[in-house]
Amino acid sequence: MDRLAGRAIALAALLTLWGPAAAAQQLPTGREIAQRINARDEGVTARRHVTMELVDRSGYTRTRETVLFRRYAKGADGSAGEKWIALFYLGPPTIKDTAFLTHDYLESKRQDEQWLYLPALRRTRRIGLRDRGKSFLGTDLSFDDVRNETKVTISDYTWKTLGTSEVDGHPCLTVEATPVDAETARLLGYSRVEFAVDREIWIVRKAEYEDLGGRHLKTSHQRDIRQIDGIWTPHAVTVTNHRTGHSTRFAYSEIAYGVSLPDDLFTERALRRGPPE
Amino acid sequence: MPRSPTLVQSALCAVSLAVAWSGIASPAAAAGGAFADWTFHAMARLEWARGVSGDQKLEVVAEPSFAWRPKGARWWLHGVGRLRVDGFDRMEPGQPPPVERSSLSRQWQLGDRADLELRELVFEAAVGPAYLRLGKQQIVWGEADGLKLLDVVNPQDFREFILPDFDESRIPLWAIQFEVPVGPIVAEFVWLPDPTFHDLPEPGSPFAFTSERLVGRPPAGLPVRIDPPDRPRRLLRDSDAGVRISGQFGGWDLGVAYFFHTDDTPVPAARLEAGPAGPLLRVSPRYERDHLVGATASNAFGDLVVRSEIAWRSDRFLPTGDPAAREGVTRTPELGYVLGLDWFGFTDSLVSLQVFQSWLLEDGPGRFRDTLDTNLTLLVRREFWNERLRVEAIWIHNLNDGDGVLRPKVRYELRDDWTVWAGIDVFYGRSRGLFGQFDHSDRLLVGLEWGI
Repeated sequence: MDRLAGRAIALAALLTLWGPAAAAQQLPTGREIAQRINARDEGVTARRHVTMELVDRSGYTRTRETVLFRRYAKGADGSAGEKWIALFYLGPPTIKDTAFLTHDYLESKRQDEQWLYLPALRRTRRIGLRDRGKSFLGTDLSFDDVRNETKVTISDYTWKTLGTSEVDGHPCLTVEATPVDAETARLLGYSRVEFAVDREIWIVRKAEYEDLGGRHLKTSHQRDIRQIDGIWTPHAVTVTNHRTGHSTRFAYSEIAYGVSLPDDLFTERALRRGPPE
Repeated sequence: MPRSPTLVQSALCAVSLAVAWSGIASPAAAAGGAFADWTFHAMARLEWARGVSGDQKLEVVAEPSFAWRPKGARWWLHGVGRLRVDGFDRMEPGQPPPVERSSLSRQWQLGDRADLELRELVFEAAVGPAYLRLGKQQIVWGEADGLKLLDVVNPQDFREFILPDFDESRIPLWAIQFEVPVGPIVAEFVWLPDPTFHDLPEPGSPFAFTSERLVGRPPAGLPVRIDPPDRPRRLLRDSDAGVRISGQFGGWDLGVAYFFHTDDTPVPAARLEAGPAGPLLRVSPRYERDHLVGATASNAFGDLVVRSEIAWRSDRFLPTGDPAAREGVTRTPELGYVLGLDWFGFTDSLVSLQVFQSWLLEDGPGRFRDTLDTNLTLLVRREFWNERLRVEAIWIHNLNDGDGVLRPKVRYELRDDWTVWAGIDVFYGRSRGLFGQFDHSDRLLVGLEWGI
């Protein structure tokens, strides 16, 4: 019995000594984490009401009410993918009826396409955005952030697992993403991103971004993550730009997945008509 | 004697405004109960313009709007009214007769300084995959900014020349628009049985047309008498109709259009007559029919967007000084095109350059414009502070006459529902030019907009 106890103590001591090293070895690689993020179900279609609160350095807040529709569609050549997003402004009255449409070609070198409907012109105009890191309609998100939603563009970065962390009480894996080359970094506007990824549900809970000069640029924090129709969904996102002191709070409501969204909704003509009921 | 709108027009206008105001004034009612399917908004705008020769306007514009969409329905109704009050009454002194507008599209004049107008009343419905818009509306074709080539479906109110947003200056018409998707393309049919034409400023107002390019050059010393325009009166034969087919092919947004319409610009037909005090020049404006065939194309290449538009028109009537010309005008087909380049390469910025050319395809001696007429436009815009502040400058320059207009403007979002702006409109060039004719109308503009 004494011998057995002694062996157990010795085994426990070994595990204590070697545990962290063994655990680190067991962490998935950065690329595997990115793949797990993207493998998470996001639904083919989604609809949600988005309240955007734009908060300046002094704390003054402007509010935009919008409704967003998103749909994945097969490419014309049968490839996996196109992602269509239509965003309609419901208020305030000064920008009501403005609408934005994007067709993203996820696995293609074809340039993404964007259209903006401006009620003052009563016309939808094509916009050209090679730099995906540009600010999205006055918010602190970039067009690339909006395009990705809760996913990542794996091919844009080199991925490396840094270790573990905890965000809002949830155990996370910390992964570093470095743009694959200088041109990609310039287009994204980031030189490095550090993602804290929930290791149970594979969703990014927090992301820290560095600008091209390596300075801390912004923080994105996803909170109130709950399941809607079986899909893990953030209900609140805060993006803070540390250089400007400006932040944007996004609150999502009336979220629905698997809704019927016709092709016609994602056309420049639909922008003029406004959102469906 | 100014003519009033018809009883029907007045009733529609009054009902629309009353519905919109009642909803805006009673948000609690709009939140539920009988108004559960209704939404209400309103914009109020105050704008002051000070010209070099004095105040031009101190204008208050209120635009209540409503939309009614029963739950589950595939149709809805929306309307917009406009009440405009001008403290100075200099843009349109008195109550000019609304000779350019049909009885159904007339403003309701409330004395010299105020008018009321039904801006929109549209029934929209999805009919299977097709889409119907029926009612008083704006139909916008084309890709060009600032100047128009294909955007001729609705006429324009020129009381402030081309300075206001086209959304404000375009005159909505009673029309049917029907869109039918056919595979990858959409066919759009329009029919406009509303004989309303460009609303031209009266002589003496700051933006009254005086350029010989537009009104000709009467012989010196000869008195001129101008008749009211001869308006088309046949509902069907004088109505406008057209079709536009559009789609996306290989990344290009493409469209072709055909429009058979009455040109909204009156032909200044003139003849010599014996008057009581000797000969006089009698100008009898009339409207002529015109075929328009056009095409549009746009695409993005990185940060650069290319926009283009081309239009052929069968019958342009232009004033001429040729004494042999019948009625002092010449008739010619015209080919016009615009090429625009929008550069989004700088952060929060847009640089947009356009080249417009109009080519008169038949010779006409004595015309007051060149056969090939070229306008350049340049827009430089930058947003600051997460789009709270916008600074922009628009420059339009005519190469033939060397005239143009420069329009720097600053716009600031004071709060969610308050926006303020200030700008100047500076015209330059010879008085014979489209822009130079307003060289005396340079102005400073300050405005405030409130939305609820």
